[in-house]
Amino acid sequence: MSETLDKKTIFQRIGKNVLKRLKRIGEFLGKLWKHPKGRIGLIVVTILVILAVFAPWIAPYDPYDVTQRAAKGLPPSWQHPLGTTITTGQDILSMLIYGTRVSLLIGVSTGIILAFLGAIMGIMAGYIGGFVDSAIMRVVDVMLVIPTLPLIIVLTGLFGRNYFVIVFVFVAFGWTGLARVVRSLVLVLKNSNYVKAAELAGASRWHIMMRHILPGTSHLLIMNTALTSAGIMVAEAGLSFLGLGDPTAISWGKMLADAQGGGALLFGAWWWIIAPGLGIFFAVFGFMRIGIVMEEIFNPRMKASSGIYKLFKNLNNQYVEEVFASMDERKLLTGDVKPEPAESG
Amino acid sequence: MNDNMLTMRNLKVVFPSNAGMIRAVEGIDLDIRKGECVAVVGESGCGKSVTSLAVMKLLNSPPALMRVDELRLDDEELKDYSETKMQSIRGQHISIIFQDAMTALNPVMTVGRQVDEMFLRHNDISKKEARKRTLEALELVGVPEAKSRANNFPHQLSGGMRQRVLIAMAFACMPKLIIADEPTTALDVTIQAQVLEVLRGMQQKHDVSLMLITHDLSVVSNVADTVYVMYSGKIVEKASVRDLFKTPHHPYSYGLLASVPKLSDTKHQFVQIPDSVPHPLRKPSGCYFHPRCRYATEQCKKEMPPLERFDNGREVRCYHPLNVTDTELQS
Amino acid sequence: MSENENRDRPIIDMRNVSVDFPVKGPIPFMPKKKVRAVTDVSLTIDYGETFGIVGESGCGKSTLANAMIGMVKPTAGDVLFKDVDLFKLKRKEFKRIRRDMQMIFQDPYSSLNPRFNVYQLISEPMFIRGGVSDEDMKARVVELLELVGLSDDDLYRHPSDFSGGQRQRIGIARAISLNPDFLVCDEPVSALDVSVHAQILNLLVEIQSKLKLTYVFISHNLAVVKNVCDNMIVMYLGKVMESGSAESIFRNPKHPYTHALLSAVLDVDIENRKERVVLKGDIPSPIDPPKGCRFWKRCPFAMTGCKDKPAELLDIEPNHAVACHLVNDVFTDAEKDAGLNQPIEDHAEGLLGTHGKK
Repeated sequence: MSETLDKKTIFQRIGKNVLKRLKRIGEFLGKLWKHPKGRIGLIVVTILVILAVFAPWIAPYDPYDVTQRAAKGLPPSWQHPLGTTITTGQDILSMLIYGTRVSLLIGVSTGIILAFLGAIMGIMAGYIGGFVDSAIMRVVDVMLVIPTLPLIIVLTGLFGRNYFVIVFVFVAFGWTGLARVVRSLVLVLKNSNYVKAAELAGASRWHIMMRHILPGTSHLLIMNTALTSAGIMVAEAGLSFLGLGDPTAISWGKMLADAQGGGALLFGAWWWIIAPGLGIFFAVFGFMRIGIVMEEIFNPRMKASSGIYKLFKNLNNQYVEEVFASMDERKLLTGDVKPEPAESG
Repeated sequence: MNDNMLTMRNLKVVFPSNAGMIRAVEGIDLDIRKGECVAVVGESGCGKSVTSLAVMKLLNSPPALMRVDELRLDDEELKDYSETKMQSIRGQHISIIFQDAMTALNPVMTVGRQVDEMFLRHNDISKKEARKRTLEALELVGVPEAKSRANNFPHQLSGGMRQRVLIAMAFACMPKLIIADEPTTALDVTIQAQVLEVLRGMQQKHDVSLMLITHDLSVVSNVADTVYVMYSGKIVEKASVRDLFKTPHHPYSYGLLASVPKLSDTKHQFVQIPDSVPHPLRKPSGCYFHPRCRYATEQCKKEMPPLERFDNGREVRCYHPLNVTDTELQS
Repeated sequence: MSENENRDRPIIDMRNVSVDFPVKGPIPFMPKKKVRAVTDVSLTIDYGETFGIVGESGCGKSTLANAMIGMVKPTAGDVLFKDVDLFKLKRKEFKRIRRDMQMIFQDPYSSLNPRFNVYQLISEPMFIRGGVSDEDMKARVVELLELVGLSDDDLYRHPSDFSGGQRQRIGIARAISLNPDFLVCDEPVSALDVSVHAQILNLLVEIQSKLKLTYVFISHNLAVVKNVCDNMIVMYLGKVMESGSAESIFRNPKHPYTHALLSAVLDVDIENRKERVVLKGDIPSPIDPPKGCRFWKRCPFAMTGCKDKPAELLDIEPNHAVACHLVNDVFTDAEKDAGLNQPIEDHAEGLLGTHGKK
């Protein structure tokens, strides 16, 4: 009997926790939405996500269909809003929509994996210290001096051109910077007196990490995810453009590479180049905006300064004068008012 | 000829915020005579630091809005001075000693060079001459082995030594007014006594005016001539040190004095002022001190008492001042 | 708390405790230097008393307190808490015993996690210990809040909404939430406004009498210590200079350093302004402490013998011991003939500054 009860309370607790988390995320999104810059970012990213998820339903044509010889090199029209390619007659709008999938997937997954790895490594180095610390930091030092691009070329040569290699390399080299920042923050948090108080109360290392250290670094991690995602998207486009991406997938970088290879500039097919360019631009713009706004939300000092300027712009001068005037008191001359006789004190 | 080094009339400072107007300073007058040391005393949040920044017009807008009827340094009216003009005034005539010497000093420059720069900026002298004066100045503020210490970086010095360097820097340009904002709060008691002694000695030697900002009345007793007690943005009492310590008129001054732990105490009980300073957005009606005052009456709850001036120069903002002598009443 | 607790035995018994910290030199593989934070300190603290540790910053008083509560492992000597050597316990046992010792920190701004609200802050120790239902925890937090003079309206507010004094109250509530019987107060008031000192000190005294706590009270201000402590030690550069009952030390201070500390207390008593003896200079670095008496370089009465011969703590009256060659008159006749008890030439000058009446 009591066991089932316990189970029930446990489920209740878990439910409560999940609700709390959801509420937090909701609150956070609300904050983003309230911020004018954040709202633009949120809208852009939401649209991109919808495009990526529902690509097969939204895209008007099959982007892989290379048999439409009749439709080769059409400029934007009602039938093909962004035109078609010169070489195979694929619909560019459809390619763009499908390309969202690759960009988002690579960008966001790499960003999240990076944040996890960076956080784990940084917290281990900073909190456990000693040998673990020096080992991790030496690895970081080594990683920092290995050139990324040649390594990707070598690895794609070895394992073939697929996105796993690219994500792997981005993650393997991207976490170092984050780990460094996290580590230094953890060192500060670790020596704070509230951690000492928790230790005195018998807290385990796990408790201190989960309750004090990780929440203390979370703002850095979330922000970092948004910003690195944007960076990775650009990098992925660059690699695909260089011909290092997956040859079978449609990505914005590969579209650009095809456009160049197919002679888009030569034949004046500007739409073929503009379209993927805009895609990359909007994706990066959206994520950057969110990242920047997060920084403002998490960093109270930045928030305060931007808030104050807004406040000052909207200040009602008359109200200010009233406040100042309300402080004026009647100026008293010497002996104008006699103090009451002192109470025995 | 003007006897006052600093004359300030009706200073008001507010900080607009989303929750309302924060009234930091509500119309205070301040006079500092030449060669006098004036202390502004109060708990944190009473507006004393804001006042000191306002004297130098160092309050940024935003976030602060400031009004003042009169702000005179010696015979110069600073009220309408531009920022550029204020900068030259600040360098030449007003200097400041901060509480946290570590952040006030440049960490990548030797302390000697930092003092040198003060001399170089205000005098047309060679670097060698400046260094000579630096060493003299450091010796004067009691830095032992000034010659080798001058080549140290701030982090190599102890807190007391850093504070001395700051004092040497503040006096280097021969200012008319020095503002010391909690100069000893971060120091140990033993070092506090040393630094205060140096500060007082330098002030008397150079005959400059000193404005001392502190929350600790025991610091005041050794250094100041006149004391302004501030509470919640208003002056509640002004008196000479001797008068204030002997016969505090305002219940708040009395409480501040009584709450200083004393060696002469014998009981296991400390005199305390209950509660804390009201939040600047939720100041009480009437006298701001009445919720913490045990002499408070109905009148105190309704009306802010005026700042009354007695003939002997004391000023008190209270309907029921303590320890008022008959002679003071008759005047 | 624990089962076989003998209140006649001291709660803390430190025997010849030394704490050194190695410092890395600028060149690797050079012999490592040591910061000698605490050297050879022995003391006992009884149940229910308030024990003062006084000294300037850098004298090792915080390190000593940390060694008492097992946050720092002594390099030499034993620390017995309720007759148990903390450092010989298994980890789990160690944690359990240490719940009986808590700490109040100097800086109420850095000792409270800014992300937590008051309820989370105060309940954290109970949460860590576990075995308390949410309702009980909340009731206990409300009870604690009331005890330290805050109201349950404050339950869900964050530390940034409070003044320094109120934060310190929260810190106190957290420290006593597990019903400890030993509390280290590390300069509990020196980061606060003077006007709040009295409030916090009174609160601590009140809580002590209510909960029968044992306090270790660390301070650099003798005026504070005098009114709360039963027994105390005066420390300088990691060593005890004077120890004994607070009453006898304040009635009859013997060590020149104690005199200097007493004299440094700033007073508001403007009528009977005393001649002030102000020590010049700072506390030297504990990396290479002086060989003889640790204080001789700043001592105005230093004798030739003080340079080399370490001063030992000797009783001068019951429950009052001093470590000073001058007071204890330890030199043998032969040493006296060698001039060891003569003042060091050109030494006293420049060490003292007097701060007279205005």
